[in-house]
Amino acid sequence: MISVENLTKTFSLTTRSNVHRTQKLDSRQQDGVFNALTGVSFHCQRGEVLGLLGPNGAGKTTTLRILSSALKPDSGQVRINDIDVIKSPMAAKQKIGFLSGKTGLYGRLTARENIEFFARLHGVSDDYLGNEALQIYENLAISEFLDRRVEHLSTGMQQKVSIARAVIHKPDVLVLDEPTTGLDIMATETILEFIQLMKEQGTAVIFSTHHLDEVGMLADRVTVINNGVSAFSDSMEAFRQLSPDRNLRRSFMHVLSQEVTHVASV
Amino acid sequence: MWQVFNKELVELLRDTKTLFFIIALPMVVFPVLFGLIGFLGSSAALKEHQKMVRYVLVNPEASARFASTMFYHSDFEKVELELGSEDEYINAIKTDKADLVIVLNPNFEQQLQSGETSQWQVFYNGANVLSGIGMKVRDAVDEFVTHIQDEILAEKGFSASELLAFKAPVEVEQIDTADERESFGETLGGFIPYILIPLCLTGAMYPAIDLGAGEKERGTIETLLLTPVSRFAIVIGKFLTITVTAMMTALITIFSMVFWSFIIGSLFDVSQVSSILASVSWFDYVLMVLLLVPVSAIFSAILLAISIYASSFKEAQNYMGPLTILVIFPIIAPMLPGIKLNLTWSLIPISNVALAIKELLKGTIDYSYLLPIFVSTGLFALASIVFCVYWFSRESVLFR
Repeated sequence: MISVENLTKTFSLTTRSNVHRTQKLDSRQQDGVFNALTGVSFHCQRGEVLGLLGPNGAGKTTTLRILSSALKPDSGQVRINDIDVIKSPMAAKQKIGFLSGKTGLYGRLTARENIEFFARLHGVSDDYLGNEALQIYENLAISEFLDRRVEHLSTGMQQKVSIARAVIHKPDVLVLDEPTTGLDIMATETILEFIQLMKEQGTAVIFSTHHLDEVGMLADRVTVINNGVSAFSDSMEAFRQLSPDRNLRRSFMHVLSQEVTHVASV
Repeated sequence: MWQVFNKELVELLRDTKTLFFIIALPMVVFPVLFGLIGFLGSSAALKEHQKMVRYVLVNPEASARFASTMFYHSDFEKVELELGSEDEYINAIKTDKADLVIVLNPNFEQQLQSGETSQWQVFYNGANVLSGIGMKVRDAVDEFVTHIQDEILAEKGFSASELLAFKAPVEVEQIDTADERESFGETLGGFIPYILIPLCLTGAMYPAIDLGAGEKERGTIETLLLTPVSRFAIVIGKFLTITVTAMMTALITIFSMVFWSFIIGSLFDVSQVSSILASVSWFDYVLMVLLLVPVSAIFSAILLAISIYASSFKEAQNYMGPLTILVIFPIIAPMLPGIKLNLTWSLIPISNVALAIKELLKGTIDYSYLLPIFVSTGLFALASIVFCVYWFSRESVLFR
């Protein structure tokens, strides 16, 4: 399982130019720093899908970057099983797979070269790549175009290759940052099916999105981040009950309008 | 680190832009461009040289002989214009009615008889250096004056050998102790690093942008950062790729220059070029290449640091533009007259390499200076790499 406790993160306003472009500065700006996260907590068990919601600039991407060790938090704790992500980032990265709307693939390499490159960086053996990886290729139906350059593949094909890239090292936790943004219906369907498959295989899946229907379809748990704080974190059922008619959009708006946070303990 | 290096290299070598910069540019485009410029330049010079100079002679009655010399001279063509003042002479040239106005002293014959020096004036536009008007008119006047001198001395009864002794009482034979290679190195040796060192920079520039800002823009850098590979290994892998590309550009350029020099030398029967290049030992060529390694490393580290900071391809290009101008300053040193490789110069990175390449080509290098050159340039390269690694570890740089 993955557990996140009281994450905080600040960025210097002089160096973090993105802050000026995308994030609200009024409430979280203080003494030349931007308080991106001021208390984010949630947890997700094996075989569970956690939907991470929040308005633009709320702190979702920062949270996911901390989970995957790309950023270090100022305080707080992230644990994957027994591994402290902050103290042992290399060990934690072995356990995490990451996927976003941008495929993160190298266009001038073939699909196979891309997958094998990332597999080797994760310490995957050649034997595994020669045998067990074939099953992943078949499941995703990418065997036919494995030796074509990624720049010549369609968006849907690229997204499938990207999925294979993200799971080739059999991660315990899969982190998805707005994975369906900008994708067509077919490519979106591929991603959603894949999330369901990972869930069934016992992987803990955390995915951020703006699409509440996707959350409703897949998530067991929901965390809403608002202004750098986890304003809500509990089961999907508890989230639905926030609205009298169990409407997800109204539940979401209800959380954003509340000043009191609701975070269920582990 | 090696996996990152291999991946980056494969990716770069599949990129047509990179192939253009490191292979096509030095092997084909530069020689064709330089050849074309040389051909056009020499054609223009030849055309100008063969062009008849249109002249106006003011006070032609002062010397009928000179008027006749000019009239029958193959380089000059007489133009009939009535000019009375200096302003009119200048205006005639400005309005392209004539190329040259020669004003004879009206009292020339009397001055000649009384042994006085006669003052003449020549007006022409010296801005057109290719035309050679000044030289042509000087030759014509010299020819005329020599003829007069011969006549005067003959009238006074001097023999032919005495005439020769009068005209050239001292004959100086100049013996140049510099061999062909040294002269070549002095004149062109400073120019070679002026091409090679910026090529190391431009050779590194595109890969640096692609591997830093390009990866940020395409979103692949984040995927790479999420792998269990240290940032040190990632940055060194990228740095090595850029350095290898820069070195390849420089090596291909050296090969191209030697190759085309031999081809041009044999085509136009200019044996000097090929014999001079052949006189440079393989050891010296290897040294030149080795000298370029730390230079390429410095450029690669600095460019990668800039590229990582930039958040887009375009932004990186904007930051790197001024760097190409800054690089010119340290490599101007070997082109300055009187600058020689000494201990002080050998400690100044980039300038020391430029000077050493010049002296290697001249064959006059003191090999003991190679140690301080390699140490100082190597240390500067190391400092640049350390900075680049530090820069790459900063969140505020990676996630701007």
